[in-house]
Amino acid sequence: MTLAARDITKRFGGLTALSQVSLELRPGEVHGLIGPNGSGKTTLLNLLSGYYRPDVGEIAIDATSISDATVQKRAGLGVARTFQKPRLLPTLSVLDNAMLGGWRDARAGFLASALLLPQVKADERELRSRAEELLHGVGLSHAIGRRANLLEHAEQRFLEIARGLAQRPRFMLLDEPAGGLTPAEIEHLAAVIRVMRDAGVGVLLVEHHTDFVFRISDRVTTLDVGAVIKHGTPDEVKRDPEVIRVYLGA
Amino acid sequence: MLVALITGLATGALYAAAALTYNVMFSTSKVLSVTTGHISMLGGIFGAWFLSTLGWPIPLALLGSMFVGALFGLLTDFIAIRRVLARSDEHLWLLSTLALATMVQQAAGLWWGTEPKPFPRLIPQDFSAGLADQKYWLPIATAILLAVALELFYRRTLYGKLFVAMSEDAFAARARGIPTNRIRSMSYVIAGAMGGLAGFAAGQLTFAYFALGLTLTLNGFIALAVGGLGSNVGALVGGAALGILSSVATYFVGGEYQQTISVGLLMVVLLLKPAGLFGSQSVRPV
Amino acid sequence: MSNSKRLLAIALVLAALITLPWWSGDLYKLHVAALICTYWILIGGLNLVVGYSGQLSIGHVGLLAIGAYCFAILAGTHGLHPAVAIAAAGALCALCGLLLGLPSLRLPGFYFAMATLAFALIVTEITLAQGSLTGGGVGLAVPGFSPPFDTPQGTYWLILGIATLVTWLTWNVARHTWGRALVAVRDSVVTAQAVGVPVFRAKLTVFVFSGFTAGVAGALFAVLQSYITPDTFVFDLGLFFFVCIIIGGRGHILGPAIGTIVLTALPEMVAPLAKLGNFFYGLLLLAVVLLVPEGIGRVFELLVGRLRPRKDESHVVKPDLERLARAIVNGRAQ
Repeated sequence: MTLAARDITKRFGGLTALSQVSLELRPGEVHGLIGPNGSGKTTLLNLLSGYYRPDVGEIAIDATSISDATVQKRAGLGVARTFQKPRLLPTLSVLDNAMLGGWRDARAGFLASALLLPQVKADERELRSRAEELLHGVGLSHAIGRRANLLEHAEQRFLEIARGLAQRPRFMLLDEPAGGLTPAEIEHLAAVIRVMRDAGVGVLLVEHHTDFVFRISDRVTTLDVGAVIKHGTPDEVKRDPEVIRVYLGA
Repeated sequence: MLVALITGLATGALYAAAALTYNVMFSTSKVLSVTTGHISMLGGIFGAWFLSTLGWPIPLALLGSMFVGALFGLLTDFIAIRRVLARSDEHLWLLSTLALATMVQQAAGLWWGTEPKPFPRLIPQDFSAGLADQKYWLPIATAILLAVALELFYRRTLYGKLFVAMSEDAFAARARGIPTNRIRSMSYVIAGAMGGLAGFAAGQLTFAYFALGLTLTLNGFIALAVGGLGSNVGALVGGAALGILSSVATYFVGGEYQQTISVGLLMVVLLLKPAGLFGSQSVRPV
Repeated sequence: MSNSKRLLAIALVLAALITLPWWSGDLYKLHVAALICTYWILIGGLNLVVGYSGQLSIGHVGLLAIGAYCFAILAGTHGLHPAVAIAAAGALCALCGLLLGLPSLRLPGFYFAMATLAFALIVTEITLAQGSLTGGGVGLAVPGFSPPFDTPQGTYWLILGIATLVTWLTWNVARHTWGRALVAVRDSVVTAQAVGVPVFRAKLTVFVFSGFTAGVAGALFAVLQSYITPDTFVFDLGLFFFVCIIIGGRGHILGPAIGTIVLTALPEMVAPLAKLGNFFYGLLLLAVVLLVPEGIGRVFELLVGRLRPRKDESHVVKPDLERLARAIVNGRAQ
């Protein structure tokens, strides 16, 4: 089961943000996506998660095209993501933020919720224990009851990952997760990403922190000015003269 | 029927003026201020007060109304916009301008009284002038004058160009060293003077009435949304369409459903063309 | 607060409210209390729209009017049983909420607020125009409830009962999955979409619910007024409902409830405030927006937080990888 972008072209007005880009994310792999600023990394991520529609080409899970599926629909198909600037609900607790990720698994409707039917309690128990386990897992045991606006930057990043994991995703798209983290926190992040991969989740890692990407990715795709310039194992990409020229600048 | 048309056109001109006022404030702050209609309400009330109670000459009273409007515009920016825009919450400006509008309307009602009071004649003219009556063509002329003046201002003057730059990308404008706070205040002052002028010019049509503000905020907004947010031609066309439609409808089916009809117009336009007739900006889902 | 303490507090408040007719002293105070409860029935529902999902509806007075006229016409003109008329008022307003929400809830904030304002004005227009049904400008007399709710005390208890029920319903919504989803719609639509919340449907659902409670409140309001005209439902009332919620604090239930009580009772007790009327509400709204945008409820929360002993404020992230792996694998196995 793979999440794939096939020959995607995306334009904004007269500007071509991506042209004929393909990328395949397999389960149980970490796929790095690197490129200089403005090379179209986040655009591609937004296309995969459904915030944009491609002008040409298709987004597909295996052979099924999901180009026209809404963000919500893709969440239901197992696509979760985090954001470059963490988007949490500042007035809710850390636990509530993580539980929000389980929305699709709550079966009680609005009326059942209002009337506190047994299903509501069951949903709540299930989502709570799932969220708590994940929060302990990503290292936020100390902050479970805290309001999310009191979190520091790194905590916010890990909370977004926990919220994404609470969606029980098959694919996890991380938008610059290492941004603003200290070296020690980046080590924790690397460990968390490896655990996700080993559990069978396909992780797309959008980063401009190249060392980090080369270290933990199984495959790497490099973008420049909206086009793929190299795709392969970290070693292959690292040695590619084109990549060195436009990106590593060495 | 002709009377209905000219009444509609005159009322529509006032709506158009309100829509232009919205546009000026929106260009620099991306705020649609609930106080828009209240500026013109103040222009009308103060105009009547200057002329009837204080016995000021007409040019002075006109300047006075524009000054009151400008002052209120500045106050709006100072109280309801400046501090709120600094925060990220996008809804706050709606609340703060709503609060200010409510206060001004109630204060006007307490001071001026809740009954509409007549607005004096501005130009010697017989009341039997019919279609040529000044109460019709004064607001129409004012709306056209405002639109033309705005276009000239945007195209010919340095400050006008700064407005346009800020409207296109406030962030970039600030990065380039444009004093965005001052420009925004200035736009609110200009919008205030425009609204004061429009309220003064339409005084004979609307009377000096404290509750005019909210109706004008709503109908000016409908004119704006129909014509297209940000477009001055759109504001004129939207205002005229709205005014004529509701007065013609009044002529045929009676005056009971005016608001229903104008909202109907808005809904039809938004369904067919969400950005309005002349709008280029798409409505951002915020 | 622990659960048992909370239950005790709720029980005490409820007991005080139920026994109010015996200690309030006079019937006028009882009337004000019944009015507060009626307002709260509307505001409680509206709170899910304004306070939780962040849709700024300033025109709910239109729904209140529809509910009131529906009750007056069904129970008065057609002599239906009041209970049936109340339910019908709620159902009709839920339908009106659906019809208003379908086109307007897709629009951005200011457009939506203007649409609700226009709706309130349209309702007034229609009540004036449809004189044969609504009595036009003259208005309609409203029958009381049937026994045992026909005394002032009985009326109060009935309204208190419904208000308590509405509080319970909104509390349940706010405290569970739906509440989180609504807050996501309010604070970050992008996040709501990312986790799969159907944004428009969620907004519409709570809007229809708020229509229902507004309709029920309208019916009760009509009974309390005993005679209704279009002037009973001035736009200012819609603004008042809205202000109660913003002042009380978005994303709270207790805050807006206290807001409703204080803002209704204060002008009754302090005469000059009644004269200032809207000016006072406007000033309060402005002060809250500029000084404590999260509302009085948040101030209260912060004060309570101050009293508690400060916990260890660690910010160190230390993943427990085995536990994480187990949690992910368990989740994927489901």
